[in-house]
Amino acid sequence: MPIETTDIARLAQILENSGVDTIEIEESGLTLKLVVDTRLRTAASASRAAATAPAADHFVMAKADVAGHFRAAHPWQDKPFVAPGQRIEAGATLGLVKIGLLYAPVVAPTAGVVDAVIAETGAMVGYGTPIVRILPLAPGNPLN
Amino acid sequence: MIEILSVTGPASIQDLGRFDQYRFGVGTSGAMDDVALRAGNIMLGNDENAAAVEIPMMPFRLRFDRNIAFALTGAAVEAEIAGRAIPPWWRSYARAGDILNIKAMSHGARSYLAVSGGIDVPMVMGSRSTQFRGEFGGLHGRPLQAGDILPCAASTAVFGELGIEPAGITLARTNDAADETIVRVIVAGEYEAFDATAQDLFWSSSWTITPQSNRYGYRLQGPAVKPKAPVEKRSHGIVPGVIQIPPNGQPIIQMRDAQTSGGYPKIATVIGADLWRVGQARLGGKLRFEQSAYTDALAAEGEMSAYLDRLRANMRLVEEARTCR
Repeated sequence: MPIETTDIARLAQILENSGVDTIEIEESGLTLKLVVDTRLRTAASASRAAATAPAADHFVMAKADVAGHFRAAHPWQDKPFVAPGQRIEAGATLGLVKIGLLYAPVVAPTAGVVDAVIAETGAMVGYGTPIVRILPLAPGNPLN
Repeated sequence: MIEILSVTGPASIQDLGRFDQYRFGVGTSGAMDDVALRAGNIMLGNDENAAAVEIPMMPFRLRFDRNIAFALTGAAVEAEIAGRAIPPWWRSYARAGDILNIKAMSHGARSYLAVSGGIDVPMVMGSRSTQFRGEFGGLHGRPLQAGDILPCAASTAVFGELGIEPAGITLARTNDAADETIVRVIVAGEYEAFDATAQDLFWSSSWTITPQSNRYGYRLQGPAVKPKAPVEKRSHGIVPGVIQIPPNGQPIIQMRDAQTSGGYPKIATVIGADLWRVGQARLGGKLRFEQSAYTDALAAEGEMSAYLDRLRANMRLVEEARTCR
């Protein structure tokens, strides 16, 4: 089974929580190496120690993983996929990137609350372009 | 397998149709929106003739009993898989036990659920399409009901979530109005039996789609279009798309479940490339006829094929990118 973007996000989360710096996965025809930036970890653990509630510097970005034009709503739906303040689950569709006739979803890497939709509808985005800023829910400390 | 949990209207299993039995008086049946059916199958890498579920009314709920990829195309619907919202014209993935809930239809008239490998009901006379009148094909030749179990062909294909641009957007016509579908037609055999006034009424009227419209035909309501003198013909071969004028002057468009013959005078025929637009026009909505020539009909057919070709090419690129990753 191929490794999906959501799996990578989950692995990154596990790395961050477990204190491991690097992980390498090899499957037939596929190698994945994840390295955690330890400077971020120091900052993150410091703020985690300071407060149990989600902190502002804990934002997670949902990023585009293909190049194309961003759309906040499906052209047949008036409502955008997400709006600031909305509670979302990991894996939720946050927007679309249109490439030719295809609509690739921008997927939430984590559960949380939408802080801002950064990309504008119609804007050209590429691999790694931040699309939606999410305030993740601290485990065991849901907002509601 | 799929278990139907709740169904509202006459949902049925349809492929592209039964085309080789016409001379025996067996109609084509097949998806009312064949473009949507093909698009769903293309998204899943299926044969484009693979059978899918045609769903004309909401709500509609079903349960998948194994991991399987599926696609929803056709009408714009509000749908959820295992509680997760899925946009229109979307390919997604169900895990064993997941429930697909199609809650509402915001525009269009028929939604199509295609599954990886296709719905595996037996082939009858070259097609899996349900033939309501003859009560064969599909699942026991009848509309689906709660408790039905639909067999799915085995497929191990694994897909990620993905959408495609609906045909209604790519193939939108510049003169399309919000609640009026403009349908291109070619004049038919008995057009000259109507005088200029009657012909003009046919072209200039906005026709209301009556509740007596279904897979057999669309009965329209508007001013009476009557021939110069009553026309009585012997029954002769007719095909989906033919527009007949019965004695009351109210047009009938023959659709996929039409009989193979009829005797009413034919004023015009919907071009093949616009028949899916009629299939997606809703009860109570309006239709207007636009006169078209044979060459226009071929050009329209070309546009439709070009859209499907682009879809196939785009999907191929995605799958190649996925296998290279």
